[in-house]
Amino acid sequence: MGKIVEVTHLKKNFGDLEVLKDISFDVADGEVICLIGPSGSGKSTTLRCLNRLEDKQGGTIRILGEEIDAVKNLNAFRQNIGMVFQHFNLFPHLTVLENMTVAPVMLKTASKEEAVKRAEMYLERVGLLEKKNVYPVTLSGGQKQRVAIARALCMQPKIMLFDEPTSALDPEMVGEVLDVMKQLAKEGMTMIVVTHEMGFARDVADRILFMDDGYIVEEAPPEELFQHPKTERCRNFLESVL
Amino acid sequence: MAEYFGLFVKYIPLLLLGLKNTIIIAIGGVALGTLLGIVLCLMSLSKGAVLRRAANVYITIIRGIPLMILALFLYFGIIKNSMPVLAAAILILGLNCSAFIAEIFRGGIQAVDPGQMEAARSLGMSYFQAMRKIILPQAFKIMIPSLMNQFIAALKDTSILSAISVTELTMSAKTIIARNYKAFEIYSFALIIYVVLITALTFVSKRIEQKLSYDRR
Repeated sequence: MGKIVEVTHLKKNFGDLEVLKDISFDVADGEVICLIGPSGSGKSTTLRCLNRLEDKQGGTIRILGEEIDAVKNLNAFRQNIGMVFQHFNLFPHLTVLENMTVAPVMLKTASKEEAVKRAEMYLERVGLLEKKNVYPVTLSGGQKQRVAIARALCMQPKIMLFDEPTSALDPEMVGEVLDVMKQLAKEGMTMIVVTHEMGFARDVADRILFMDDGYIVEEAPPEELFQHPKTERCRNFLESVL
Repeated sequence: MAEYFGLFVKYIPLLLLGLKNTIIIAIGGVALGTLLGIVLCLMSLSKGAVLRRAANVYITIIRGIPLMILALFLYFGIIKNSMPVLAAAILILGLNCSAFIAEIFRGGIQAVDPGQMEAARSLGMSYFQAMRKIILPQAFKIMIPSLMNQFIAALKDTSILSAISVTELTMSAKTIIARNYKAFEIYSFALIIYVVLITALTFVSKRIEQKLSYDRR
């Protein structure tokens, strides 16, 4: 399996604050990686550096073989990387279907008919086809996040980034979103997930990266990391969340 | 009283002719001001320090000049007879409005959740595509009340432009009074027209706001 994402010695500052100090990891095609760790450890920032929502200050990030700072057409490049946000970020002035077709049609990756057909297919997969003509405000949090995932899939990305996708949800809605993500993982999507859902990480991830204070402190398959954490910091963190 | 209504019937066609120009100047001025305002607003939100500085200097200067003096200076000082007075009036009002409209747009755009831009960019849209399809439609809805206020202010400000003798409503009234000295009657007709027009506009603006409320269940 080829490496889809290769991060080496990534550094990121916000002013004087060093958020990412030295981050290196790879992601293989079809792999599911979960980033866990205390808040402020740099998980979300790492994720946002991958599609250049944040600019890095050092190191290299190669995605699909290309160094991201050298990419000529950033917008075309971003079409390969789907992103799902903690607060959904659905477009409130567009219907569910329009949310999903606006980018493909505008960027001409599909004709209007194809885009609608594809959107309906993904909506059916997340179980929300009957909601296609409503505005996002009428949806529950879990429904919004499922639409947001389907919207990202409509660009047919090669990688999906999830930035705490269930953190803003009421507890009873977490399951429906995780189910969609599990399904996606099963279909072979390459996924990088920042999450606090340890159950999901244990069941779905191929590897877990534990981050603390701007470093990746531990990296291991889930059974190993959860049962035999090697470092004090990771052990303390797992004790506090499990 | 009969004389009052007699004067009303006699002079209303002339006043309405002036009103036509008032409306043309207001719409033209606000349209021009909106175009300039969008450019200024994008400049003041841009990353380039020079563009930002230039926009801020322009906005500061224009906002600091009373419309009357702007009109007199531009028309008698610079434009003179080089363009029709109606076009000059639109230009002057447009310049005046642009600074205020730029600030309204900036406020509206900054009130849209930054996550909207991030989501649009992460789908592969360019900055301008995201602005046009995602940010501006939402910002516009936030801005409608302020834009409507600006339009109403501009409509009233057209009366100041009688200083450059463009025959809008106030100028028409002045011209009639110069002939018949009926200041009370004729000015009262003019102000009634202004009030009726602006009340109607306020009503329309409320309706537009209601029409665009997609975020109500």
